[in-house]
Amino acid sequence: MHKTSSLSDLGFDAADASSGFFRPVADDSTHSSSSAPHRRLTKVSVIGAGNVGMAIAQTILTQNLADEIALVDALPDKLRGEALDLQHATAFLPRVRIVSGTDHAVTASSDLVVVTAGVRQNPGEARLSLLRRNVELFRKIVPPVAEHSPDALLLVVSNPVDVLTYVAWKLSGFPASRVIGSGTNLDSSRFRFLVAEHLDVNAQDVQAYMVGEHGDSSLAIWSTISVAGMSAFKSLRDSHHSFDEAALEGIRRAVVGGAYEVIGLKGYTSWAIGYSVASLAASLLRDQRRVHPVSVLASGSHGISDGHDVFLSLPARLGRSGVLGVAEMDLTEVEAAQLRRSAKTLWENCQLLDL
Amino acid sequence: MSMKKEASSLSELGFDVNFGAGFFRQVPSSGCDNGEGTQRRPRPTKVSVIGAGEVGMAIAQTILTQGLADEIALVDADAHRVRGEMLDLQHAAAFLPRVRIVAGTDVLALTRGSDLAIVTVPGARQQVTLELLRKKVAVLREIVPAVAEGSPESLLLVVSNPVDVLAYAAWKLSGFPASRVIGSGTNLDSSRLRRLLADHLGVGAQDVQAYMVGEHGGAAVALWSSISVGGMPVLSYLQKTHASSSSCFDGEALEGIRRAVVGGAREVIGLKGYASWAIGYSVASLARSLLRDQRRVHPVSLLAKGFIPGNDHEVFLSLPARLGRGGVLGVAAELELTADEESTLRRSAETLWEHCQALGL
Repeated sequence: MHKTSSLSDLGFDAADASSGFFRPVADDSTHSSSSAPHRRLTKVSVIGAGNVGMAIAQTILTQNLADEIALVDALPDKLRGEALDLQHATAFLPRVRIVSGTDHAVTASSDLVVVTAGVRQNPGEARLSLLRRNVELFRKIVPPVAEHSPDALLLVVSNPVDVLTYVAWKLSGFPASRVIGSGTNLDSSRFRFLVAEHLDVNAQDVQAYMVGEHGDSSLAIWSTISVAGMSAFKSLRDSHHSFDEAALEGIRRAVVGGAYEVIGLKGYTSWAIGYSVASLAASLLRDQRRVHPVSVLASGSHGISDGHDVFLSLPARLGRSGVLGVAEMDLTEVEAAQLRRSAKTLWENCQLLDL
Repeated sequence: MSMKKEASSLSELGFDVNFGAGFFRQVPSSGCDNGEGTQRRPRPTKVSVIGAGEVGMAIAQTILTQGLADEIALVDADAHRVRGEMLDLQHAAAFLPRVRIVAGTDVLALTRGSDLAIVTVPGARQQVTLELLRKKVAVLREIVPAVAEGSPESLLLVVSNPVDVLAYAAWKLSGFPASRVIGSGTNLDSSRLRRLLADHLGVGAQDVQAYMVGEHGGAAVALWSSISVGGMPVLSYLQKTHASSSSCFDGEALEGIRRAVVGGAREVIGLKGYASWAIGYSVASLARSLLRDQRRVHPVSLLAKGFIPGNDHEVFLSLPARLGRGGVLGVAAELELTADEESTLRRSAETLWEHCQALGL
C-alpha cells in the first residue's frame, strides 16, 4: 500500500512546479521575500488517534482553530489512515497542514498539545495498577512533548483526568498555569443541557458549574445555576412536587451517568468530548478569557492545603497563556467539605505515584 | 454491558415540565394578536441521515458543527447505537447553537418533513456483485419510499456504494424528479485531485478547478485538459516543466495520479478499517450548497441522459452541476472531452445501464 499524500510521492519534483507557474513580483534584490517575517502558524498536536483524539482533531479542524494539526499514536497504520482521511478532507477547508507520526518529534513547536492516550484496563485490574500503568505511558509521552514544545499549553483528557493532569504537570516541568485537564467541562455542558431543556432556553444561556473530581464524585454547585440573571435554584425547588436532596442528587447522577449511558449504547463517547475540548482550545488559542470548569492546580483553594498539589475542576478563566485565574466561588460549608474530601483522596492517589 | 437508561430530561426526574412558564413570562398580548405568534414560525431546516455508522455519523457531526441544520434526525436499524450517537451529540449542547436532534429506527416517523435526506446505507464494500447489488437495492426499497412519503419535497442525497447505481435506484424508488436526487459521486475524488495539485503548486485547494467525472470508483475520469489555476491551464504547464525530468507528465503519469486519487478511500480503509472524515466534509459541502442555495458547482452523480455523446440511457453518473435549494439546477453541457474521455464515459454508462436494468425497477 503506497503512500500517496503528495505528487512528490508519485515522483514529481515539487520544486519545479510553483516557481514557474506563479512568479513573485519584481523586487530589488536586497530583500529576500522568503525570509520576510510572518505570523507564526497555530499548531495543535493530539496524542492518541482513537475515537476521542480523532473527534477532537476533527472538530478543531472544522472550527478552523489551527493551521497545522499533528497526530501521534503508537499504532502506525491506524495513525496513517486517520491522518490520510483528514488530509483528504482538507480540500474542503481553508489551507491547513496535517502531519502524523509515532515519534513525538512531529509535535515540535505546538501551541497546544492535547493528550488523550491511555492504557486499556485489564479485566479485574485494580485502579491503582491501572493508574500506575498510565503513569508509565505518560512518562513516554510528556517529557518528549514538553521538550519539543517548551512553551506549549498542555491539555489532558485521558482518565482519571485529575490525577493524570497532575502527572502531566509533574513530568512536563511546566508552570501549573499551562497545564489543565478537560475536567468537568463536559459534565457541566450536560448539566446545562438538562436545565436548558427544562426551561426551554438555549444551553448557552444557562450558567451552571459542576466542579471537583471528574467522575462519580463531581459536585453540582446548585447556587451557581443562573439564567437571565436569575438564580434558577429556587425555581427548580418550587417546580418539584417533593423537592429534597434526593431530587437534586437525581439530576447530578443523570449528568454523571450520561457518559456511561453513551458507552453502554454505542461503545464509547466521542462527539461530545470532541466539542468540549475544541471549545477549550478556542478559548486558549484565541485568548478568549472565557470561563470553563477545568481541572487546575487547586491547592490553596477552599481550604485545600497549600502543600497538596492536587488538580481538580474549578471555574477558570482561560486565555493564550493558559489559566489566567481561578474563580473564588462562594461554596456552602457542605460543598467546600466535599471538595476537600475529593482533594484528600486525589492527593493520596498522587502520593502513591513516585513523582 | 449495563444499559441503564439515564434520565434525559428533568421532567423524568419529577420536575414539572410546565415550570418554565413562570421563570420567563410572555409579553402581554394585545387584542390583535390571534395567538399567531407560535404558528407563523418559519419551518426549521431539517436534515435526516439514514445510517448511523462511521460515514453517517461523520456526515451528521460535520453538518452539526457547520451549523447547516436546525434539526437533525438519525435513523438506524440498531436502536441502541443510534440512541447513543444522539445522546453523544446532545451532550455537546453548551458548545453548539441550539439544534434539535432526534434518533430511532422508524424511517417514516423520524424523517418526516426533511429538507434533505442523506442515505448512507447499506454500508461497506465498493466492489459489488449483481447479487449483492440486488440485496442493497432491497434495503433501499425499505427506506426510500418511506422517506419520499414523509418528505415529498425533500432533496435526496445517496452516499452508499456503488453510488451511481444506488442513486438511480433511489430515484426510481422515490418517484422524485431527477433534479432532486443526487449521489455524492466524484465530489470527494475531485477534491483529492485538487488537493494533490494544489499542494504541488503551492496554492489553496479552492483555487484549483479540477473535475473527476463519470462512474465513481476505479473508472472515474479526470478531465485533465480543463484543470485551471489562476486562470491558467495547468496540464500544459506541468507537462512543459516536467518534460525533461525522469517522471514527465505523460499519459502514464496522469494515469498514475488518477489511480492514486480513486484509490484514496481504499488506502484509508486498508489502514484504519473504514473511511469517514473526508466523506463527512464532502457531503456537508454538498449539503451547504443545496440547503443554502449556493449555486456552487460540484461533480455529483446525477441523471446523465443526454449529456454524454452517444449515451441515451437513464443512468446516473457524475458530471459538474450547479447545486441549489431546488437540487440540480443545471449540468455542465459544454464540457470539452477528448475522444478517450468520451469513450470511457460511454463505456461506464453502458456498464451502469446493464446493472440498472438487472434491478427490476
